[in-house]
Amino acid sequence: MKTIKSILLALVATLGLTSCTYNKLVEQEEIVAQKWADVQTQYQRRADLIPNLVNTVKGYAAHESETLQAVVEARTKATQITVDPENLTPEKLAEYQAAQGEVSQALGRLLAITENYPDLKANEQFSELQAQLEGTENRIAESRRIFNEAVQTYNTSVRKFPNNIWAMIFGFEKKTPFAAEAGAEKAPEVKF
Amino acid sequence: MKRTLSFLLTLLVTAFAFAATYTVDNLPIPYLQDRTQYVSNPDNLLSQTTVDSLNLWLGQMEREHGVQTVLAVVERIEGGETYDFCMALGRKYGIGRKEQNSGLIILLSTGDRAYTILTGRGLEGTLPDAICKRIENYQMLPALRDGNWDEAMLNAVRAITKYVDGDDSLVGSSDFDDDDTGALIGFLVCMLLGLGIIAFAIWLDQRKKSYCPSCKQYKMKKISGYTTTNRRLGLRTHHDTYRCSNCYFTKELHWDEGINTGNMGGAAGGALGGSFFGRGGGSFGGSFGGGSFGGGGASGRF
Repeated sequence: MKTIKSILLALVATLGLTSCTYNKLVEQEEIVAQKWADVQTQYQRRADLIPNLVNTVKGYAAHESETLQAVVEARTKATQITVDPENLTPEKLAEYQAAQGEVSQALGRLLAITENYPDLKANEQFSELQAQLEGTENRIAESRRIFNEAVQTYNTSVRKFPNNIWAMIFGFEKKTPFAAEAGAEKAPEVKF
Repeated sequence: MKRTLSFLLTLLVTAFAFAATYTVDNLPIPYLQDRTQYVSNPDNLLSQTTVDSLNLWLGQMEREHGVQTVLAVVERIEGGETYDFCMALGRKYGIGRKEQNSGLIILLSTGDRAYTILTGRGLEGTLPDAICKRIENYQMLPALRDGNWDEAMLNAVRAITKYVDGDDSLVGSSDFDDDDTGALIGFLVCMLLGLGIIAFAIWLDQRKKSYCPSCKQYKMKKISGYTTTNRRLGLRTHHDTYRCSNCYFTKELHWDEGINTGNMGGAAGGALGGSFFGRGGGSFGGSFGGGSFGGGGASGRF
């Protein structure tokens, strides 16, 4: 009788633990998805700023069409790639990051040439656009940092014992954080 | 009095940390000790008049719109990047109310010749990056180029106040005013309660003394008394004669008193009064609401 009782107790305890672990993993996975959405929102915000920026620069530096074209193309390519949080595989993330990295680089080159146009630099609209762009780059960096934190928390949960057993049973897999890229993902230098 | 104190304090701080390079951890945040102080001015780059005006405006902004601000003007910051510094500051303290993420950080590092207006997530609509930039370009830059830090900060905060005032969706913290009076009322209630207990104890003591053991009535009255003093023991002994007004029963009561108690009472009273007035005249420390920053705002160099 006593053994049955203790076995039952152990079973109940384990079940309780399982549901608790399971819920925690679901919760953390949801947070990762939400933070990923934030990252994409911020990249989208940058993409939305680009046409305006390109048009403003065009008015002053029309013959830099090659650089302008590069920005527009990189933007078009990058906006075509969106990644659902469900299939946030390392490959998909790398692809996304590469496309966005190209936008960053093209933008960096564009902003570099604007240095040669004092009239453009003095333009109020351009100054404010630049500020918006800089703010957006900051927001991207911040949202990526927060996303990486969420991924790290989730990954730690998934790998810890005994959670790893339940994670295996329920199919919770490790997620990939953003990798810090040397140079490629560097925010465009915005100087005033 | 307060001003002298704060002056001495700043003097002390200046003496220890003259032209220090500030980190997020060692930048003084006066708001935490006194919630009417929003300005951190450890290097005394702003005049006292400016600091007072800024505190007044920023206080009004917090009361009416719940925008919690930290404004710092320093000589130099570690790393020299005002944006990074502001973000770290915001992360550390959680400046701004949590419900509306209405934190605001304004930092000017004169030695690095850099400045940042950082807006909390909830302020990004009221003060978009472009507006922050416009404020910086038109309100701050001209004064900064002249090295007029006072003017730059006054202009910036004045302009920001205008934008914040125009946004009705930002609501003031309702508990902000009540908090202060609430604490004071609590203190007064405690004090009255304490006085009540003392009065009750005295009354109980008197009642005990007036109890007549013969006719069991509380009719004993003190008719005479004298004291003897024992300096060696430090005691003053009271010998009081009580007589019952009902049955004329008399009894003698002897009770001791420390020779210094009289003075002690005075000292305690003084301390109590002192602490009370200290409380009334001083201010209460503020606390930050846990707001978060997403990287909004604008930075620049001059």
